[in-house]
Amino acid sequence: MGESVGEFAKESGDAILESEGEGLAYFSRFGVDEGLIRAAIERALSRGGSYAELFFEHKISQDLGLQDGAVNRAYSGVALGVGVRVLRGDQTGYAFTEDLSRGSLLETAGIAALIADDNPRSGPTRFEHQQRPNRYSVKTLWGDVGVDEKIPVLRQLNEEAFAADSRIQKVNVGLSHSDGAVLIANSRGRLHFDRRPMTRMSMSCVAEDGGRRESNGANIAARAGWELVNTTRLETLRADAVDQTLRLFEASQGPAGAMPIVLGAGASGILLHEAIGHGFEADFNRKGTSIYSDQLNEMVTHEEVTIIDDGTRPGDRGAVNIDDEGNEGQRTLLIDSGRLCSYIHDKMSAEHYQVAPTGNGRRQSFRHAPLPRMRCTYMEAGQRSPEEIIASVERGIYAETFTNGQVNIGGGDFTFYIKLGYLIEGGKLTQPIKDTNIIGNGPEVLRRTDMVGNDLRFDEGGWVCGKDGQSVPVSLGMPTVRVSEIIVGGQNQSGEGSA
Amino acid sequence: MSVQSGGPELKSTALLELAEATQARALREGADEVKVSVSRSRGVEVEWRDGSLERVQDQTTQRLSLTLYVKGRYSAHSTNDLRGEALDTFVRDAVAMTRYLEADPYRKLPDPARYAGRAALDLELADPSLAERSGETRRRDAETLESLTREAAEGLSVISVTSSISDAVGCSARVHSNGFFGAREGTHCAATVQLTLQDEEGKRPMGWDYSARRHAEDLRELSEIAQKASDRAAGMLSPKALETGRYSVVVDRRALSRLLSALISPLSGASLQQRQSLWEGRVGTQIASPLLSIYDEPHRPRSFGAALWDSDGFATHRRPLIEAGVLQTFLIDDYYARKLEQAPTGGDLHQLEWSLGNRDRAAIIASIQDGVLIDRFLGGNSNQSSGEFSFGCGGHRIRGGVIAEPVSEINISGDLERFWGQLVEVGNDPYQESASACPSCLFEGVQLSGGTKS
Repeated sequence: MGESVGEFAKESGDAILESEGEGLAYFSRFGVDEGLIRAAIERALSRGGSYAELFFEHKISQDLGLQDGAVNRAYSGVALGVGVRVLRGDQTGYAFTEDLSRGSLLETAGIAALIADDNPRSGPTRFEHQQRPNRYSVKTLWGDVGVDEKIPVLRQLNEEAFAADSRIQKVNVGLSHSDGAVLIANSRGRLHFDRRPMTRMSMSCVAEDGGRRESNGANIAARAGWELVNTTRLETLRADAVDQTLRLFEASQGPAGAMPIVLGAGASGILLHEAIGHGFEADFNRKGTSIYSDQLNEMVTHEEVTIIDDGTRPGDRGAVNIDDEGNEGQRTLLIDSGRLCSYIHDKMSAEHYQVAPTGNGRRQSFRHAPLPRMRCTYMEAGQRSPEEIIASVERGIYAETFTNGQVNIGGGDFTFYIKLGYLIEGGKLTQPIKDTNIIGNGPEVLRRTDMVGNDLRFDEGGWVCGKDGQSVPVSLGMPTVRVSEIIVGGQNQSGEGSA
Repeated sequence: MSVQSGGPELKSTALLELAEATQARALREGADEVKVSVSRSRGVEVEWRDGSLERVQDQTTQRLSLTLYVKGRYSAHSTNDLRGEALDTFVRDAVAMTRYLEADPYRKLPDPARYAGRAALDLELADPSLAERSGETRRRDAETLESLTREAAEGLSVISVTSSISDAVGCSARVHSNGFFGAREGTHCAATVQLTLQDEEGKRPMGWDYSARRHAEDLRELSEIAQKASDRAAGMLSPKALETGRYSVVVDRRALSRLLSALISPLSGASLQQRQSLWEGRVGTQIASPLLSIYDEPHRPRSFGAALWDSDGFATHRRPLIEAGVLQTFLIDDYYARKLEQAPTGGDLHQLEWSLGNRDRAAIIASIQDGVLIDRFLGGNSNQSSGEFSFGCGGHRIRGGVIAEPVSEINISGDLERFWGQLVEVGNDPYQESASACPSCLFEGVQLSGGTKS
């Protein structure tokens, strides 16, 4: 719903989109033109400052929900505004307004300018429109799909879930999508424009078995349009939601104590996100507050381990054509055969370390200044078979699905919560386990990651990363790996494991 | 009905007018019932790091939320584009889209009789002095807080200190087409500092503290915030491993809300109606230790949770949640009450109030020969259908009645009913800077898992 936001670039053979004038044309409906942008940057530099930037954003989102057998709820949102950032070395002035009138924008720019107190600087006299790659190949635009076409999809999932097993008591299905447009103008005379689709589909079930109840769910997400909702994916979504709910009846909390863990391929990438990714974000390292601050170019993991943060995977939830500072999304090698070779940079940290930006300067919206953030973080496949890795563990656990994680950047402690997994006994998967938290220390766990499988898989779930009060979409990938020891937060048992 | 706070009404009145105009638009477009809320806020944050100004952030937000009931169909929408033409399009499209949805016979505005009985209280939600606060004052306080923290940490290996001073002023108004209207203004202010140290193992523990209040005069002294942040960081240096086992555990008042939230979340009407609540059928039965009594007190002046009406527009009042460990009520809003075919009990929690014990944290710790103090959580989750939980945490060993070496990389796990049944002492030190107002609590026989350090 809401007013039309125009057209996303439909899939084409072109790797590069021409953006000449496209962004100004889009935002002209809100009264934005090059003259206003020039005046606002001039105002932002009115007290000096080394850099000024405007981040215009318009985003329309819609959620449709099924509960108790009917698609009877819908939510929509419109967000419009501009953030003004002024840098003075490492210092940031940031202000935003949701009123794009000339008076409001100039006042906002004047507030951001207060970070500096030098002589005025002049802004660019003209802007150069920047090209961007096209990594969001939308085949069917949401604007072309009516609510009446979406409803049967949700209903079908609901009916199939109830048909799959008589223990299913309740089903909730959600379909969310958003269309966003951003225009970034900076004091170096560059003008960037991007269109950002996102679609997410979720399904949760409540089941009852012999007086016990369990609930669980699954979701898929991508920078895509209606085509995400294809038959194969829906079947997988429904099967995962039902299966992962019913399997909880066979499971109990895992053991307690230190033991080996085998992380299954796919969503186990949450380990990389928490144990490594956040600690590699260069704002923490620039300030010296990350445990990895003095480990650049050092061996930090077993040499079997290579880790990438990638913004270039087409249609991926973590993909970025450009980041929120206008830098092109890239494939960034973080750990190369065990050696820490790059942090995750935004503009400010890249200048601090005198390296090229990596395209990781991201923000939740125009209401926030950009920070170094992950995109799609994954480990390269190794040589070992998953079977070999599981067989190597005499007693430990196998982790398969996860709900959430967290990290303490400076101390390096991190956690992730296993929703479903198995005990490993005698090199074989045995009793299912559930609802068990894992805690470890990033650098120590990296050193203990000693076997890497040949089965890299990317997870299609709708992961959200939170930092400094900002949420951004990310994705994960992982082959099967073994960590020789980690602390498992279960119950009752002594937890004496061995690899 | 009156404006909720005793503060100036001008801005709230303007918002009420916009809400009423939008409501009229939606009714003209064909909505049968409408709920509209409009809010505006302005906030400023100044951050100071390692001797210089790090960041100044100024934010002004506005938001209009529209809830529609059209021919038995329901939808909710929000926008911050409040230009007249844009709002017209927004309302028209929202009403049109709602018609495509499937009907939900339980969706309608609440019975207006439930709006009545609003307390005639001044909750003191707004501090007028914050509107006069200058940028120079914020900057000076941030610099002072950073400086005081460095003084407090003298002798420690300090890597970085970041302080911030922030405040915000907001107002909102809400109307329902069957007679509810209300407006409120509120303020928020905070002083925060985080301190990163270097330990002998190369780790960089970060300690923090903050004071957050509605009124500036209620904030704690900057020197106290600085000292607490320093103490917390110092207490995390060179942590040891904890042997897996069952322990007497003191949970610090600032950390306890994580475990309380796990206990209370399954009380929602949605959780109950969707058959996800482990507490189904348990009202009037023992779900926790007899020492646990918690009340929802929405009328505590200046508290963050204070409110004269809830999300449905119902007049709020004090009510017991758990008394002597016995569950007193679910939190059932108007919609889920209809689906459950029972009267609503009120879906919101506001400001909690505990029946307190006689001793503070230090006195409780002094009574423990061998145990663990948990003062922070890290990740983890709980299963609200089964009650199993598992959280990461850290803190200190307690030996001979005193706080001993720091411990980290710990998981605390168990079953919610059993865990809260193991509560053996409630402190007298509620943390009033939070809506949960938890005191420090002592639990016996708690499962903790730790491990070896390389």
